[in-house]
Amino acid sequence: MSPIAGAAATAPRSRTGAVRAGRRAPDYVRIGLWISLFVTLVIWTLPLVFIIFTSLKTEQDIVGSPVFALPLHPDFGNYAKAMEDGNLLRVGTNSLIIALVKVPIGLAISAAAAFALARIRFRRSRILLAAIALGSMVPIQVAIAPLFQIINNAGLLNTYIGVILPYIGFGLPYQTFILYGFFRQIPEELDESARIDGASYWRLFWQIILPLSRPALAALFILDFVATWNEYGMALVLLQSQDAWTVPLAIQGFQSQFTSSYGPINSFTIMSVLPVLIVYLLFQRYFVSGALAGAVKG
Amino acid sequence: MTAAVPSAPAPAPSGSRRRRRRSGFATALPFLAPALLAYAVFVVAPMFESVRLSFFEWTGFVGAPQEFVGLKNYIKIFTQDAVFWTALRNTVIWVVLSLIIPLTISLALAVALNRPLFGRNVFRSMFYIPGVLASIAVANMWRWIYNPNYGVGESLGTAFGLPWLSDIQWLGDQKIALYSVFAAFVWQSVGTNMVLFLAGLQAVQSEHIEAARIDGANAWQVFRNVTLPALRPTMVIVTVLTFIGSIKVFDLIVGMTGGGPAQQTQVLALWSYQQSLGNHQYGMGNAIATVLLLITLLIVVPYLAWTARQEER
Amino acid sequence: MRTKRAVAAIVAAGMLAAGLAACSAGDDAGSGATTITYWKLTDADDASKKAWSEILNGFEDSHPDIKVKVEERSTDGHKEALRTALGTSGAPDVYWSWAGPGIGGEFVKAGGSLDLKKYYDKYDWTSRFGDSTLSTVKQYGQWDGVPSGQSGAGVYYNKELFEKAGITSTPTTYEELVEDADKLVAAGITPIEFGGTVNWHLMRLLDNILMAQCGSDTFQALVTTKADWSKEKCVTAAFEEFHTWTQKYLTKGWASLSDSEANALFFKGDAAMVIEGSWFDNVLRANDVDTSKIGVFLFPTGTGQLYGDVSSNYITPTSKHPDEAAEFLDYLTSEKAQKISLDLVGARPVNTAVQVDPTKEDSLDKQWDPIFADAKGLYEFNDQALSLAQTTEYWRIQNLVATDELDPADAGAEFQKFIDQQ
Repeated sequence: MSPIAGAAATAPRSRTGAVRAGRRAPDYVRIGLWISLFVTLVIWTLPLVFIIFTSLKTEQDIVGSPVFALPLHPDFGNYAKAMEDGNLLRVGTNSLIIALVKVPIGLAISAAAAFALARIRFRRSRILLAAIALGSMVPIQVAIAPLFQIINNAGLLNTYIGVILPYIGFGLPYQTFILYGFFRQIPEELDESARIDGASYWRLFWQIILPLSRPALAALFILDFVATWNEYGMALVLLQSQDAWTVPLAIQGFQSQFTSSYGPINSFTIMSVLPVLIVYLLFQRYFVSGALAGAVKG
Repeated sequence: MTAAVPSAPAPAPSGSRRRRRRSGFATALPFLAPALLAYAVFVVAPMFESVRLSFFEWTGFVGAPQEFVGLKNYIKIFTQDAVFWTALRNTVIWVVLSLIIPLTISLALAVALNRPLFGRNVFRSMFYIPGVLASIAVANMWRWIYNPNYGVGESLGTAFGLPWLSDIQWLGDQKIALYSVFAAFVWQSVGTNMVLFLAGLQAVQSEHIEAARIDGANAWQVFRNVTLPALRPTMVIVTVLTFIGSIKVFDLIVGMTGGGPAQQTQVLALWSYQQSLGNHQYGMGNAIATVLLLITLLIVVPYLAWTARQEER
Repeated sequence: MRTKRAVAAIVAAGMLAAGLAACSAGDDAGSGATTITYWKLTDADDASKKAWSEILNGFEDSHPDIKVKVEERSTDGHKEALRTALGTSGAPDVYWSWAGPGIGGEFVKAGGSLDLKKYYDKYDWTSRFGDSTLSTVKQYGQWDGVPSGQSGAGVYYNKELFEKAGITSTPTTYEELVEDADKLVAAGITPIEFGGTVNWHLMRLLDNILMAQCGSDTFQALVTTKADWSKEKCVTAAFEEFHTWTQKYLTKGWASLSDSEANALFFKGDAAMVIEGSWFDNVLRANDVDTSKIGVFLFPTGTGQLYGDVSSNYITPTSKHPDEAAEFLDYLTSEKAQKISLDLVGARPVNTAVQVDPTKEDSLDKQWDPIFADAKGLYEFNDQALSLAQTTEYWRIQNLVATDELDPADAGAEFQKFIDQQ
């Protein structure tokens, strides 16, 4: 099995050898471990639970009862209010459009570059790779002030494209680096045989490398979707108009406008994270294999 | 971006003697061009512009004059700007803590969840959830948890009759505010690192562990001598990702304290942003950004060189 | 080549999608009507919201060819958005702002305000406003903005809590105010509340103590940085007094509260005082506070001056529709619009043709009439008087002193050090 396919496939599965070893005898260490893990998990879940509780309480309940008290009379009024006051549909649509345009284009560009770096021999390709990879380490804030000027001069402030283009630029380094690692592990013999058949590099890329990398591409797609949905620093500067706001900007805007409306604030936060939560639950295995994609490249 | 399918090959780099090499770059260029273009325009150019602006005084308004002032901005931030030193100190604290606390917790979780346990996939999924949430959403959740009147500390303190607990100003007391924000960061980042470690643990051969067990090694010795060495590549990745992620911490601070109280939770990324776009001192802001960039590069470039050498072996 | 075309098609589709997307985020609706954008603060209460929507509807009904797209933000969000957007293609056509040098002045200096001389002539606005209001328009050299409102800020107090503490009359000197605060503490009442997360709330206390200690002339010299903060003795005295207030009289947990969270304590009667502006009458009513139980007095600085600010609506030089924008501003200050905000919100009109009708005011509003009438001049909130960078530093020092991290005796020198570097 090729390492690429293996990387994605093995991750979610448990190894049978280990399972068999576990059946030997009652293991008190393991039971203790399980209990402590469970306790940790409960602690880990509490913040979310508190937020959900609060979002379902009326203003009086929030002020009058402790934060961990169950909302005995769940009230969805906060959600309705938050939805309307926060313009959630509009900002959600903005975020969705930006992510759905940015992610495939960015991935295609990164894949093409990674292919060239991994499969076509040319001088200084390693240095070029290093130069690109270096970009993943640049804090956005280092470039944000000039970036604002560039986008402003192009007249693209408050537009989708004005934020998509820098997103693509800043997403490239990491994706190119990861995909480079993936492509390198596809056996070179494939290239040789394809070349003998007279295939061009375009066909090699399009018909052999990309299909073989589908798991990695899918993982990167999902991870990048979530990252784009969640991006705040650049959007804060490039999207001033409320109609152009993305979800994170709306969360922060809502919070500062209605500081003491705790119920609506918390229900707004919950609604804003629902889409990524759903994506996560649906495509969970890609998160694992996406992480693996990083780890494989040692 | 139309450059995705350019027809004219660019000239080959001069001085290359072998024909194969020259055609190599020409062949590669169409694949590279879109990436290089986007990278150059939106990452590299602003970065250099930022360094350039750090030697100027400018309000940032279009049409306002840019006045060359040499190293004045740097002298100012190093010798006169009290907030800069606070921000630098906090950034260092943040990075160091990030490399210790969440990493240890996630390694422990990963090792624990690598064993066959009832419901371990549920455990894994649940621990990962905070990692997919937007930092700004996490910040708002934790602001509520830390609320001085109705938050968790207050509720627990009242319920158990512990007035000192109710009195803690999680985000208002400058001695602990940074660490309160950091707690939210731990909550958010542990799951992501755990999954990376779990991935790395797949590479540990169970035969090696069995062999060590048969040789009489205890659990700790197995971990120390078999698991940990095998995790080395993963450890490097996680360390670098954590470093990069933590040195540019921004969202959580903005969302929870905005750098306050009294700038005591200020960090370099945020202070640079506030100086440029808030106070309209682009020179100072970009000088801070340049310092941040230099710190990052000084640590990351040696690492890159090291991994490159590793791969050549 | 097939693949090549496929790639081209995908990229083209992507570009198209992005292009379309870019358009839909743009401004003009394309229905023939001109759309102007207007940025303002969020209306926190229903009365203000209602007044605003009535005014807006009134304008759009009488001007069917002009549409106004309104964007509202929180105080700090609004300031930050303006600072980032002014002078760029992202700037609105019209924006509301505080007129003082530290905020409005900076915007004007940065080229964020169109000279409205032409429109002042066209609409004869000079006869619409009083002299003092007009002087704020012309303070930076050109004709900047159209006055929007004037507010005074004083100490709002809870009459019942004062009574409980045995305070029979409002303080007339700073010393009496401190005595009253002591009485409140003795009665187990939190004397005063402010929220610390927005630095400008607690700043009101420091500003006023500084005024009380230094007097008007020195105060003005200090905020215009003509006097030396490290040399004036009253500065140290002020920071020491301020420190005492934060340690003894200020509500606990102030540092983690926002202004509205802290004000909730005042609404519930958990704190006896707060320094707020004349807009606060309306906020109190919106929060179901019985305003007959609330009183207001001027912070006893001994100067007789009114603490407060003036605000204006500005047109940006980048606006493509300045004529329509001016038409809009003309409507905002028209008698009709001014009457709506007076009747619904109790906002003090800037149009001299509209008079406050005492019979329509509630007991709290009435208390403001003599305060405005007797004021011997205005001193502005310091975040409007100081420059942006100075304000940031002023707040830092204020909070350091308030949290016991900086010796009040060093505070003045610390601030002067910063001023000298600028």
